[in-house]
Amino acid sequence: MSAAPLAFIKRNYALLVVSAAFLWSGLAILCSRHQEIPAKNAIVLRLGHWQLEAGVREAFSAMAAKYHELHPDVTIIQDAVPETTYGQWMSTQLMGGTSPDILEVGNGLPYNVLLGYYNRYFLTMTAAVNQPNPYNKGTELENVPWRKTYKDTMRSVYVEEMQEYMRIPLSQFGIRIFYNKDLLKRLTGRTEPPGEYRDFLEVCRQIRAQRDALGKPYTPIAGSAFHVTMWDMMMFDPRTYGALRRLDFNHDGAVGNDELFVGLKTGRIDFSFPSFEAKFRMLRQVTSQFQTGFTGLGRDEAVFLFAQQRAVFMSTGTWDVGSLYEQARGAFNVGIMDFPIPTPDDPEFGAISEGPVYDLPLVGFAFAVPRTCKHPEVALDFLRFLGSQRGNEELNRVIGWIPAVKGTRVSPMLEPFNPHLEGIFPCMPVTLGGETSIKWQQLHSLYQVNQISYSQLVSEFLPFYLDHGDKEWDEMRRNARRGLARDDQFLAGMRAMAEGAAADEATTRWIKYRQMVASRILSRGLNWALLQKRLAEGVVTNAVAPYEFSPAVITKVRNRLRASEPSAAGSSQQKERL
Amino acid sequence: MKENAFKWRAMRLGVACFGLCLAGCIKSQETDRPEARVRAGWDNYRRGEYSTALKDFQYAVAHTPQKSATQLAALYGEATIWHLRRPDEDLVRAALLYRQIIECAPTSNEAAWSWLGLARIKALPIDGENSELQSQLDAYQAVIDRFPFHPAGEESFLMQQAAKLDVWDVNRTREVLAALQHFVKTHPQSPWLSAAYDLMAHCGTVLGMPDLRLDAAIQSWKNAEIDPANPIRDFSWTYWKLATIAEFEVGDFEMAREYFHKFIKESPADQKVFIAKQELKRMADLENRVQAERAVP
Repeated sequence: MSAAPLAFIKRNYALLVVSAAFLWSGLAILCSRHQEIPAKNAIVLRLGHWQLEAGVREAFSAMAAKYHELHPDVTIIQDAVPETTYGQWMSTQLMGGTSPDILEVGNGLPYNVLLGYYNRYFLTMTAAVNQPNPYNKGTELENVPWRKTYKDTMRSVYVEEMQEYMRIPLSQFGIRIFYNKDLLKRLTGRTEPPGEYRDFLEVCRQIRAQRDALGKPYTPIAGSAFHVTMWDMMMFDPRTYGALRRLDFNHDGAVGNDELFVGLKTGRIDFSFPSFEAKFRMLRQVTSQFQTGFTGLGRDEAVFLFAQQRAVFMSTGTWDVGSLYEQARGAFNVGIMDFPIPTPDDPEFGAISEGPVYDLPLVGFAFAVPRTCKHPEVALDFLRFLGSQRGNEELNRVIGWIPAVKGTRVSPMLEPFNPHLEGIFPCMPVTLGGETSIKWQQLHSLYQVNQISYSQLVSEFLPFYLDHGDKEWDEMRRNARRGLARDDQFLAGMRAMAEGAAADEATTRWIKYRQMVASRILSRGLNWALLQKRLAEGVVTNAVAPYEFSPAVITKVRNRLRASEPSAAGSSQQKERL
Repeated sequence: MKENAFKWRAMRLGVACFGLCLAGCIKSQETDRPEARVRAGWDNYRRGEYSTALKDFQYAVAHTPQKSATQLAALYGEATIWHLRRPDEDLVRAALLYRQIIECAPTSNEAAWSWLGLARIKALPIDGENSELQSQLDAYQAVIDRFPFHPAGEESFLMQQAAKLDVWDVNRTREVLAALQHFVKTHPQSPWLSAAYDLMAHCGTVLGMPDLRLDAAIQSWKNAEIDPANPIRDFSWTYWKLATIAEFEVGDFEMAREYFHKFIKESPADQKVFIAKQELKRMADLENRVQAERAVP
């Protein structure tokens, strides 16, 4: 070899390596794309989603292959886009008319923007979800309308503002405690996790007392600012359930922030209410088991502590199951347990523990079909396939998530995620407007890290809340009124659609229109008026609470029971005869 | 020979181009029909493309005979955009257009909705505060007087009553109750009956008349419209409401039990099932307590 080419290679070595790598990657991409190109006249559907968790892409590929077996002319290709950029990506795809044919919707955009997108870019699913799913043939769900085959009857994907179903959900989610089985056994000698609250605290105490080979203490619970919200949601906040009976003035089965404000303002309740105090006591007891400074830590730092076997417990949701098992593979065994609950004879919490914590069936992982889809019927059919009893079970089995459809089997590993559909729930929505919310967040954070006591929190927050609350209450009401133009805007569109529809469809459209007018316009101010009246009456000390029996009701019950007694009936008949 | 072939090819190309142009023109004529532009206008309105929708309606107005049905529909569409587009609304222009429709065809369907449009302009809150009540009520009354049995007139009547109930006022609530009772008597076929009974039930709360509230709530449920395209309507909320009124306001525990059970059956995964079961127990406990008291000599 002459010296010139060698010199050239030596001189441009880096450039040549980069060029070769570039050429190789280009060829690899071309080859793989070529393999993906379907046969002529085939229908190709693109499916866009943000789920980069382990198993999701594999599950979609497997389900696409199964669907392809049933429909050889249909090929499904997926576009998995990172969560952080999903909102922007979806917006540009929809606006540019280049969106995938099936799109996961719900992340990365504020609700009002999403509502506009539903209107503008997506097909409605209402007609489809009211028909049975043909892929449920041969199952007990064969003749059941599709939406009724879901564990939450598809309530989570019903868009009230549009009176339409817009998406098809595919999985159910839940939150539980993950624990390191091996470490629990090594530090406490237990093979089963504690199910009861006092026992759980005792286990945490035992874990804290242990030291590793370097003399460092173990942390019972891996926590962070992200994780503490889950503990709050699943353990502390539901302790406030007792306030429902004092504050649910409109009997809608929940306490609104407006109702809590009226209750506090009129003296119907205060922060010494046992359920409120209990929530904060439990918060203090449990967060004391987290690592120091947990409020300043992020999600990954807590996961790292757990994966490094420095902590025994960590709370998270079904979405992390696959990833956590993967991280623990070969190092330790992961177990999943329910949040511990106090027993009825618990000295502190027994009196206010009325039951387990209600698990809202969180059904999500929901997909919609954009208007630009060239084969909407096929896209919908693929969603029917994924949302059928068998299809949904298989999809979620591969991912390692919980199916959203009734009668499906859940992997034994996920059984602790089976939701409790009866139980207590939070009834202390303190945030009212901007200033009181900020004040509450500041004081709540200080309480979480044990810098102030509960009485300090209350003495600093309550006067501020009652003082600024009046302004914020008025602003809430103004905001509600400001939404009127938007409702009118929407209703005018619905009405035009009803006027222009053919006979049968017009009936449906008019009914939807009237339901919307009734819920959005006619009843808009009614509840406010009732609460305003209570506020205007000022402090009361002897009012009958919403779930108390008034003397009039008790008298009625007494009279009815007396009248229904045989002797009473007999004597009245005698009187009649006389 | 070569020249002939070239000519032949050129001619074929010309015919193809002509064909394409013709097809384009036919399609363009189709989409430029005023009726089609009105439909397109509403489609664009629903998508929030107000400027495009406005062009559609204005085109239809300009290309239809005066006072024709299509022109009225297009004018109504244009008025609605100026009334309800955000931002860039122009309420004055909207009102002018509504009035133009009313003047052109005072008894038309569009006139009825235009009167309601004028009333809704009056009802728009100013910086979040309610606009003056009397002017709202008068504007609604203008629709009711002219179109008492038209959907716009009936809707206007209910909006008028709801506006009166916006503030707690016992005397005004009595008036509203009387008006609603008259409405259900004189409009027995109205599709708005369910909504009217709902407002009546609210009057029962304000006036402290629990039996009236319960009756009205039951009537609201019985008169609820069933969509033929979606006949399986979810009444769980109605069952819950009837059960709680019966339990806490009327003291009719039998009825409360019936509706709590219906609610649990209809909606077993609902958050309120836990409360329903607790209430079933509490009612039984109260009855046992009362009976135990009576047993004591």
